[in-house]
Amino acid sequence: MESQPLLSVHLSAGYRGKPAVLKDVCFEMQRGEVLSLVGQSGCGKSTLALAVLRLLHWKQATAKGRIVFNGRDLMAVSERQMRAMRGRDIALVLQSPLSALNPARRIGAQLEEAWQIHRRTSVTERLDAVHATLRQVSLPSDRAFLRRYPAELSVGQAQRVLIGMAILHRPALLIADEPTSALDIVTQAEILELFSRLSHDLGIGILYISHDLLSVAAISNRVAVMDQGRIVECQPTARLFTRPAHPFTQKLIAALPAMPQFGCAAQAQIA
Amino acid sequence: MKRWILCLGLIFATVSTRCAGAQPGSELRFCIPSDPRTWNPLLVEDDASETIRYLTGGVLVRLNRQTQQLEPELATAWKVSRAGNAIRFTLRRNVRFSDGSAFTARDVAYTIAQLMDPALHSPTGDAFRAAPGKVITRIADPYQITIVFPAPVVGLAKLFDQVAMLSATSPQHERAVLGPYQVADYRAGSFVLLRRNPNYWKHDSAGRPLPYIESVRLDIEQNRDIELLRLTRGEIDLIGSLSPESYDRLSAKAAGMAVDAGVSLDSEQMWFNQAPGAPIAEYKKTWFRSTNFRRAVSASIHRDDIVRIVFHGHARPAVSWISPANRAWFDSKLAPHAFDRSDALRLLADDGFTLVNGVLHDRSGHAVEFSLVTNAGNTARERMAAMIQQDLAAIGIRVHVVTLDFSSLIERITRSLNYEACLLGLVNDDLDPNAQMNVWLSSGENHQWNPGEKKPATAWEAEIDRLMRAQAASLDAKKRKQDVDRVQEIVWQQEPFIYLVDKDALMAVSPNLHNVSPVALRPQVYWNIDWLWLSNSGSRRP
Amino acid sequence: MKTMRAVALVFLAAVLAASIAANWIAPASYARQFRDQPDAAPSAQHLLGTDDLGRDRFSRLLYGTRISLLLAPAAALMSTVLAGAIGGAAGFAGGWIEVCVTAATDLFLSLPWLFLLITVRACLPLNVSPVVSVAITFVLLGCLGWAAAARVVCADVRSFRNSDFVLLARASGAGGARLLMRHLVPNLAPVLAAQFWISIPVFILTEANLGILGLGVAEPLPSWGSLLRELESFSAYSAQPWLFAPLLLLVLTVSSFQIVLHNEEVAG
Repeated sequence: MESQPLLSVHLSAGYRGKPAVLKDVCFEMQRGEVLSLVGQSGCGKSTLALAVLRLLHWKQATAKGRIVFNGRDLMAVSERQMRAMRGRDIALVLQSPLSALNPARRIGAQLEEAWQIHRRTSVTERLDAVHATLRQVSLPSDRAFLRRYPAELSVGQAQRVLIGMAILHRPALLIADEPTSALDIVTQAEILELFSRLSHDLGIGILYISHDLLSVAAISNRVAVMDQGRIVECQPTARLFTRPAHPFTQKLIAALPAMPQFGCAAQAQIA
Repeated sequence: MKRWILCLGLIFATVSTRCAGAQPGSELRFCIPSDPRTWNPLLVEDDASETIRYLTGGVLVRLNRQTQQLEPELATAWKVSRAGNAIRFTLRRNVRFSDGSAFTARDVAYTIAQLMDPALHSPTGDAFRAAPGKVITRIADPYQITIVFPAPVVGLAKLFDQVAMLSATSPQHERAVLGPYQVADYRAGSFVLLRRNPNYWKHDSAGRPLPYIESVRLDIEQNRDIELLRLTRGEIDLIGSLSPESYDRLSAKAAGMAVDAGVSLDSEQMWFNQAPGAPIAEYKKTWFRSTNFRRAVSASIHRDDIVRIVFHGHARPAVSWISPANRAWFDSKLAPHAFDRSDALRLLADDGFTLVNGVLHDRSGHAVEFSLVTNAGNTARERMAAMIQQDLAAIGIRVHVVTLDFSSLIERITRSLNYEACLLGLVNDDLDPNAQMNVWLSSGENHQWNPGEKKPATAWEAEIDRLMRAQAASLDAKKRKQDVDRVQEIVWQQEPFIYLVDKDALMAVSPNLHNVSPVALRPQVYWNIDWLWLSNSGSRRP
Repeated sequence: MKTMRAVALVFLAAVLAASIAANWIAPASYARQFRDQPDAAPSAQHLLGTDDLGRDRFSRLLYGTRISLLLAPAAALMSTVLAGAIGGAAGFAGGWIEVCVTAATDLFLSLPWLFLLITVRACLPLNVSPVVSVAITFVLLGCLGWAAAARVVCADVRSFRNSDFVLLARASGAGGARLLMRHLVPNLAPVLAAQFWISIPVFILTEANLGILGLGVAEPLPSWGSLLRELESFSAYSAQPWLFAPLLLLVLTVSSFQIVLHNEEVAG
């Protein structure tokens, strides 16, 4: 198992009129690992997230290279096979929870539908799955809650719904694209806690994308630092903070108000 | 002639007692529906241009709209040759155009040359073109002219009522006129202003120059409702033709302003498509060709109800193709078809039609139904169609009323012939039956029920052909009248056109306008414009 | 708001019931001409008076309501579905398909419909019963009314196409059809509903005007359109206020529908 990583990426990508957004980005992820990808806004983090899901063409962008997931090169599989993997094997959580939920549909319907895309099951099984996932993200699963529209939720609740939706099928990889940047500090902490618990309990590998070095310290095993479309440094979390190698990383750390307390999950993993 | 003199005398009498002569500053106002399309009197086709021609143009002879007799105008005398192809005019002396140039036989010759010039395409000239060939004018002296046509032209003298004389020499061309008024100002889309022609030749018995009214302002107004409103506000002095509804509204509001001048030449009629080539079911053509069927339909239509409900009483049940308004030619021996449902059913039974459960069936078992097309937007016709529908339902005939825009209606009734029955009206301006020659000859294109027959389809159509040709070739007025009477009888019996009503001429006249004697013929109100005068016209706001 | 809704519902139910039960309620046939009393004022015998031909206005209003209330919404539904399908597909597909469809829609909007309708009338047989003629008219209206709304829908869908929730739906493995039906259609609902409600009165009036082309309601059948057409010429209607009954009914019915539907959404 050690010999086969969960995800191995070697990728270049560009938009029309903005060619090299990702320049030979190269990294690997192990099963159950939490890898944080940190960089300034516009350095290509989100592009990378979409590239892994092979959704870049919807943004009029193209990617070249290799994305090996579970031993399969995703650049070579058909769109049909890719679609079957999205949401089931690789899930996505977006930055702004309220716009990522369909404003015109009830929460319950959206969760049920996310289930139905990949599983044809009875209504009871479907509802059980939805209830289970809501419990996992610490949300109520009563009927009244399921009948709410996204606009009737708090931002934190909405983000939990999205995370619940993402883990519905127990994916091997969860890509979280700035999942906490729209949240207040308290909620942010709760959501981070949720991520590390999920990773721990369910063994889900998480690619955690953020511009905030401080917040990732608590949950990640390793941190990759991105600058101008390149990964300039990739180290276990503790080492990155204590001995940053690249000048850009050093600059990032120097800008921090205080050194982070490392979360227990990260500690355990390293040990 | 005697009658005419008497009538004129009466007018003179009233004029001399009530009007003090020319009225400086007086202005008659009324509306025309559109901008005049032409200022050339020979090219007149639309109503607005015709109004201007009537008010500005000088003609050799004038049809008195009241007596329906010809009267001398610029010609003091005229004589049609025995063969009917030539006419000699003796012209009035000392007549000048509005620009001051003298009017002589040269101007008449010039006008005729223009009128008959194929390059000009004069619609007025079409009436004179009985046969191809050149028209010759011979000037005996400045006040004697003979016009010779290549073939006899029936009713020749009367046609000159429409021919306004042009000046051969005036640099003003058609703006030099001989009529009572001349065009003084024109704003497109707004108005046409006519001012008295200072050189107009006519004078009243006291030697005062005519016309009395100084100027005529023709406001261009399309909307008939607004026209009516302006009349009641006193902004205009007359309306030449009113709908029955407007007439009723006006008489309720201002009694005395609305005038019903009696029955006019305009009729409303329906007919069935009898053309053999028409793309409709054969069994229907069989009904439509049956005289009994047509007469049964005619007898089932309650014409009195149509007159009362649709025209509010301002119409008469029609008799045949000549309106009683046409005094000279109407066959007074005929009466309108009576409403008689039992007679209708008897006629239908004779043809093998049977009434089963309230539905009429023909001999071969087809239920009798047909579509009746009429032009959309004409409320009166739509109502008539609905009434006919109801009347025929009572004898078990189902009628589908279809309203079509005018051009597709014309397309259907003239080209594709894809229709079963049609309801339309005829606006008639000409008293002479010859004007309807193309309707009654079986070979005519306007022989609507079966256009352009190679040879007459029925014996009665053959007889109409013979009679119409005979009267057209004859110059004997009495003989012509006999023939035309016979044609009216045949049409009354056969009903290729089922004549429904003859409409009344309805108009409105302000109480300020004097000497008016409204008539059914156009121009109904101002036909005697020379003699009209206005009271308190100065008090009107501008 | 609740009482408003209740009132609107009761009103609609009453209108619907009255139009369905026209055969029993109407004091006379819509076609019967009481020729001895045309243009009569309201009386016990004729609740809303009679028209120019002496037909009972109240009966005609009942039957006219039935025709218009059935057919106008059907046509509106048809044009709405077309607008949603065509505009939605174009906006969703994007690229050259969107360009083509938008161009086609613009072309469609600029066509001289009057002449096309005249041609259509010329192709139709003359001997059709009045009911069929009205039905054909509304089908035509349904087929022609979609274009303007399709452009709005297209623009909306285009903005949805780039939205986060569509991106997320794709990331969840949703395919094209599912995206369209489950994610776009619910978001288009307000636009489509607006199109639907706007279309109804527009179609009712257009149907009246089409009478001029020989399409639309044929004598003697009444429809709201043909009843409204009687109000066209402005004369002294203030003296005959009952002539406004069809207009009042149209306004009340359409607004009642809107009240009911609006509350439904909010309450939902």
